Amino acid sequence: MGFGRYVTARVLWAGVVSLIITTITFLLLSAAPNPDVQRAATQAALQGGDPAEAVERARELRGLDEPLYVRYFDFVQGVYTLDWGWSSSRSQPVIEAVGNALYYTAQYSIPWTILTVILGPLVGVYSAANMYSWRDHAATGFAFFGYAIPNFFFGIILLLIFGVWLEVIPIVYNTDVAVFSVENAIQLAIPVFVLVTGSIGAVMRVSRNESAEFQNADFMKTAKAKGVSPLRAYAYHVMRPTLVPLSTTLVGQLLALFLGSSLLVEVVFGIPGLGRLTFEALLSQDTNLVLGTTLFFTFVAVVGNLIEDLVFTVLDPRISYDDR
Amino acid sequence: MSDGQPLLEVENLTTTFSTEDGTLTAVDGVDFSVDTGETVCIVGESGSGKTVATESITKIINTPPGKIEGTVRYKGRDLLSIPGSELRQIRGNEIAHIFQNPQEAMNHCYTVGWQITEALQIHQDVSDEEARTKAVDLMDRVGIANASSRFDDYPHEFSGGQKQRIMIAMALVGDPDLLIADEPTTALDVTVQAQILELLDDLQDEYGMGILFVTHDLGVVAQIADRIVVMYAGKVMERGNVLDIFDNPTHPYTQQLLECLPEFGGTGGGIPGTLPDPHDPPDGCRFAPRCEYAEEACRTGEQPEEVEIEPGQWVSCVHYGPGGDPSVIGGEEFGIAGDTGAADGDSEVGPADD
Amino acid sequence: MATEGSERFDQVDWSDLSRSGRFDLSINSIGMLLTTLPLALLAVYDTQFIGDRTPTFEFIGLDRTFEAVDFFFIFTLFLAFWYLVLPLYQNPRMTRYYWKEFRRNRPAVVSMVWLGIVFVGGIIGPLVMSAPQQELLVAYQPPVFTSVVESTPATCVGEVMNGRCHGTWEYPLGTTNAGRDVFTMIVYGMTISMQIAFITTTIVATIGITFGTLSAYSGGWVDEIMMRFVDIILSFPTFLMFLLILYIYGGGLGMFIVVFSLFAWGGTARYVRSKSLSISEEEFIKASRISGASTYQVIRGHVVPNVASSIITQLTLLIPGFLLFEAQLAFLGVGDSTVPSWGQLISAGRSDLSYAPWIVLAPGIVLFLTILAFNFLGDALLDALNPEAEAESE
Repeated sequence: MGFGRYVTARVLWAGVVSLIITTITFLLLSAAPNPDVQRAATQAALQGGDPAEAVERARELRGLDEPLYVRYFDFVQGVYTLDWGWSSSRSQPVIEAVGNALYYTAQYSIPWTILTVILGPLVGVYSAANMYSWRDHAATGFAFFGYAIPNFFFGIILLLIFGVWLEVIPIVYNTDVAVFSVENAIQLAIPVFVLVTGSIGAVMRVSRNESAEFQNADFMKTAKAKGVSPLRAYAYHVMRPTLVPLSTTLVGQLLALFLGSSLLVEVVFGIPGLGRLTFEALLSQDTNLVLGTTLFFTFVAVVGNLIEDLVFTVLDPRISYDDR
Repeated sequence: MSDGQPLLEVENLTTTFSTEDGTLTAVDGVDFSVDTGETVCIVGESGSGKTVATESITKIINTPPGKIEGTVRYKGRDLLSIPGSELRQIRGNEIAHIFQNPQEAMNHCYTVGWQITEALQIHQDVSDEEARTKAVDLMDRVGIANASSRFDDYPHEFSGGQKQRIMIAMALVGDPDLLIADEPTTALDVTVQAQILELLDDLQDEYGMGILFVTHDLGVVAQIADRIVVMYAGKVMERGNVLDIFDNPTHPYTQQLLECLPEFGGTGGGIPGTLPDPHDPPDGCRFAPRCEYAEEACRTGEQPEEVEIEPGQWVSCVHYGPGGDPSVIGGEEFGIAGDTGAADGDSEVGPADD
Repeated sequence: MATEGSERFDQVDWSDLSRSGRFDLSINSIGMLLTTLPLALLAVYDTQFIGDRTPTFEFIGLDRTFEAVDFFFIFTLFLAFWYLVLPLYQNPRMTRYYWKEFRRNRPAVVSMVWLGIVFVGGIIGPLVMSAPQQELLVAYQPPVFTSVVESTPATCVGEVMNGRCHGTWEYPLGTTNAGRDVFTMIVYGMTISMQIAFITTTIVATIGITFGTLSAYSGGWVDEIMMRFVDIILSFPTFLMFLLILYIYGGGLGMFIVVFSLFAWGGTARYVRSKSLSISEEEFIKASRISGASTYQVIRGHVVPNVASSIITQLTLLIPGFLLFEAQLAFLGVGDSTVPSWGQLISAGRSDLSYAPWIVLAPGIVLFLTILAFNFLGDALLDALNPEAEAESE
């Protein structure tokens, strides 16, 4: 009983999930031949050496000759102590590379999240208040457009129009400009727009449909009978209950896009963030970095799901903590 | 009737809704009035337009699709023609509402304290502290134990009867002069119902409010009403002093309503037939299709004009109008209805104390 | 889309319950068996008797190789025909009712037509059109009705007027940098999209329904553990894990389909479980249990028909996600580059975007329209199949 215990239980569960995913990652890695070891063998063969010996040496170097459980514990310990190894392609610790990339990812993720959280519910509730008007239809059309158009494709097209043809935005992302500068705002405007378009559609739809139900609820009549103005009635009596079911959609949508499309958007716009780091790690066969970035995204997913649960519970006063 | 100007005077109130199937007339030219300190009950079957009539007074129903016509004079001002901002200042502050289902009528996301004080915060310039003190006092007054600690509880933490008490506190917080209570006891069980009615009665004496009370339960009417308005299919069939009407129900519909009550010697069975389609009401008297005394004259033209058959008692029935013959209506159980002026022959009607 | 969804259309066979234990084969099952058998034989023949590089249909002179994905795709098509399309024909009254409900939603009807084109194009296209060949001489032809500066294409197939090369009907959507016909490639991409749609939904529905009902009927701690497992599945970042899998193991379309369907059934299982629990509480289930119906019969006769419509809707809304993931992977260049999907085409045209935008635009718009159509269709199915949800969603 009690909110504190519920939160504790939820956090513990998130820890368990992260451990399970880490374990799966480890199993995936150990079940396959290590690309680095294979590379060593190929190199040895090309240079006229003994591939078998090279493999042996490479395995020893990476501690692969140890028994499985020892390697597993080492791996898990490394993951949780943030000792994620050395990135060979970037010549720096993986955790540092991730930290650097996060700086750029945050620059577009924060405005994107804020815009989605604010605009989505507002437009949705507005749509419900003007149901079946042309504004509602326009919003609905935009919502469907937003979640149907592939973000990377939309990004390419906008880059072509605004970058290549109209030349109002730079084609190549410039890391030298200050974070809070007009130049940075201009070069991030299109990526943020693309991501907001992608995440806002579902948020708008859900808030429209949920608030449509609440705006005809009896408590709206009570509010009206109290002399509450329409604006206040929507702001307090419709918006607040709508946020309960919406919280799930909101966090879910942002998370889904963050874990999938943001990677593509970074690649399209050349933003040196986490997505691009992952992509480059894949191309340069940097195992430690691939592992580090995927684990990072995975933990974001776990934490995001945790937040989704907690937010939902905080928002709905009717939920008793014993039930869940 | 009252001397001077009544608190609320409704004249020719007509509320229509435009729907996909055409226009629906829920309330059709209704007249009634409420005085300070008195309780007026609107009675009728479900679907007879009682709720719409009361919600039209302060325009709570959504317009569009609804359309409200006529005049609603409250302290001399026509509520239907004043601007929305002025009307909002009256709602919750001077005229308060209580609804049928306290479960649904409260917002599940806010504490009851927040919801009680909301009207105060909107209408009056009070500090949070003053609002809280007043709300706690009221919660205490309506019978919520440990009011100050329950101020921050959510609606789902209260029982149905307690919720309705909270709703009453919510309505009274602005010291209203008129309380409109729409079947406030229907969703509650009988013992709680009696407590709530008693509470309302006490509060009325304390605050000197006029109460407009909607119900389909004549037992409740007998307990609280000073005057009653009998509605059927959007029209007023009969209205007047509760004692006069219970002693001498003149309209066949009123008679049949009373017959349904076991404590009035009735059979307890319902009235045969159903309400007419509101999209296409019958010609003539609305009740004619179900009336055992209906004649050809009842089925043509408009609803008959209201006739004052006794001081303060008005009825809308062909048989009492010009050229009608009141003796047609047999009043086996209620004395000789035709004999206007002598309505004392019935011993079965209990005293309607309030 | 789902084959398991058929029983919603099929009227519940009440007499089924009294025939306890006996396995009666309906016309649908007989048809299914009769068509699957030759397919299975062909698959065995393909894997056991002929070499990897020999085309499957060499014995009749066709130069067409079947992969495991193709066999499975045909299998799901059979399932869809015998258990989804045929029941619709067998119950014309029901079909007419659904159609009437569905028809009112005009965007959904248009979506259905579009998906029909993609479906038919995906099935018939590769049979009648030869695979696009590399022809460097006709590289960068503009689409019909459009024109580019003469210097863009290697040689202009159409008319050259005022220094601009005009498109021709020979290449209606233009050609790529290697001179491949974009239209043909889009048609080939339809096959890939339909394979993804059909196979993933079949797998998701099968696992989801099995897992959900098992969980509901086990109860107790087994149920608890199974549902915790669903929690994990649902919070799994599939896209990134798949990147990792691709990195370690590599893999083509088959791997993509398997991995993504293995992590997509969480919602279906959760829904089926809650529905099974509420249904098993109902009186008619108790009645049929008392009269001796087995758990299998209860599930097949009552649970599946009751959840089928919602599952179909769920699956319809899952498909666009799969298509998008495939396109994203292809665009990143980490997918199987031999699979002629729309994403591959977008990826291939990206470097030529500024002077040959059609290579990206054409497949991108087709992909967009397909995802949009699935979304509209899912929305409409929600309305048509659950009348009580109508007020909420509209």
